[in-house]
Amino acid sequence: MNTAMHDKRIPIIKIKNFLIVSIQVDMHDRLALQLQSQILEEIEKTGAKGVLIDISVLEMVDSFIGRMLSGMASMASIMDAAVVIVGMQPAVAITLVELGLEMPGVDTALNMEKGMEMLERRLRNQEFEL
Amino acid sequence: MLGLTSDKGWDELGKHFLETEYDIVRVRQVVRNHAKELNMGIVDQTRITTAVSELFRNMYNYAGGGDVLVETGIVDGHQSLIVTCIDHGPGIADIDQAMSDGYTSGMGMGYGLPGAKRLVDRFEIQSKVNEGTVVRVIKWK
Amino acid sequence: MSETYNIQNVKERINRIEDVLASVAAGDLDARIESEIEDDLSGIEAAIDLLIDDLTDELRQRAKMQKELEDKLSKIQEQQKTIMQQQEDLLELSSPVSKVWDNILILPVIGTLDSQRTQIMMENLLQKIVATGCTIAILDITGVPTVDTQVANHLLKTVTSARLLGAECIISGISPAIAQTIVHLGINLSAIRTKATLQDAMIYAMKQNKRSEEVKLQIQRAGYDETEE
Repeated sequence: MNTAMHDKRIPIIKIKNFLIVSIQVDMHDRLALQLQSQILEEIEKTGAKGVLIDISVLEMVDSFIGRMLSGMASMASIMDAAVVIVGMQPAVAITLVELGLEMPGVDTALNMEKGMEMLERRLRNQEFEL
Repeated sequence: MLGLTSDKGWDELGKHFLETEYDIVRVRQVVRNHAKELNMGIVDQTRITTAVSELFRNMYNYAGGGDVLVETGIVDGHQSLIVTCIDHGPGIADIDQAMSDGYTSGMGMGYGLPGAKRLVDRFEIQSKVNEGTVVRVIKWK
Repeated sequence: MSETYNIQNVKERINRIEDVLASVAAGDLDARIESEIEDDLSGIEAAIDLLIDDLTDELRQRAKMQKELEDKLSKIQEQQKTIMQQQEDLLELSSPVSKVWDNILILPVIGTLDSQRTQIMMENLLQKIVATGCTIAILDITGVPTVDTQVANHLLKTVTSARLLGAECIISGISPAIAQTIVHLGINLSAIRTKATLQDAMIYAMKQNKRSEEVKLQIQRAGYDETEE
């Protein structure tokens, strides 16, 4: 099989001050790590303050992807950007909890709209802190 | 093999060779499809797919790959999906330790095993140092 | 009757008897000797044929009985499946989730909770959260006297899973007995928001709603004031 087909990059879109990543494929480990670096690079390049990661299409999140997501949330926050994971499917949520991966400290939202509201609220609070 | 559930009367659904990272994704999709065909509920489908993903990754990372056997049959009175992973890797020296939850945050061999065990109805493992490991997980429909 | 026995003939007939017996043993229930000669040997041949007749009758009877039993068994299995499905449906019906207010779901639970029921409840609630887009869900267990550790764990799992979805799950109506179970389990209480009564939970939920609405309006207003960058 053509490996170039497997190493497609996941598109990252910038809207306002936020990055939006929609994960539509079942990622193999290397692609997941690649995505993690990509997002951090984009944060640096664009100065984005928030990242919305849409996983509404993902039917499975295992421990590797789960750790990649929470790892990325931590790394992004060090770079002063907030990460919100949106659209987790119920079966995925239940399985993650049973796996023991509760991702504390990672923000989640029901959908894009609520995710954006959450990020905007966060930015607003940050401004007040000044 | 000693210690594993008897496979009398089981039907083989497929045998796969796991060699690359892409195989992990491909074969777990195959497992999910079989779970769907058995009419397993969506949460259970996700559980078994996630559990085998953990096992496949283990096999790939620590044994360089191996064989995956997918079967269906009656176990404990339930129609079940049975996935057996066989590798000829370094083996696990201390299975009890590998199966204890302390290992979920470790990076050694067997990472992900305790998590996978929680997701399935039956979990069986046999390992011999320098010979290999066999892990079998069973999910009732 | 002249009795001339040609040794070759007898040998052939004995071979034939052996062949027929071997065929029957191998499963050919239609094999018969059916000799047309009438002599002393034909008495044995006829007897053997009769024996085979009786044997095949028995076997056929038994096969018929087996088939009937198998049919009965699969009928029973079908019925069991139907009963189980009906039970599942009943469980679902007995835990209806309703949207009572903007962004708030309520799931009143009545009766004993077992592991299976709690599991189904959890899946229902999470599906409803996604379907309605409500970010607050109230699980009212006033009608539940006690829970065992498995069920308490499932309740905790429900709250944690809801959080991963982006919703807050409040548990109201916890009896003293249940409170004890939760504490004995060593569950981190800050992980679950609990309220004594359904009313308290509703008030809290509506306050949360109001707060988010206010923040939303603030942001929108600020958006009109800001100049485009």
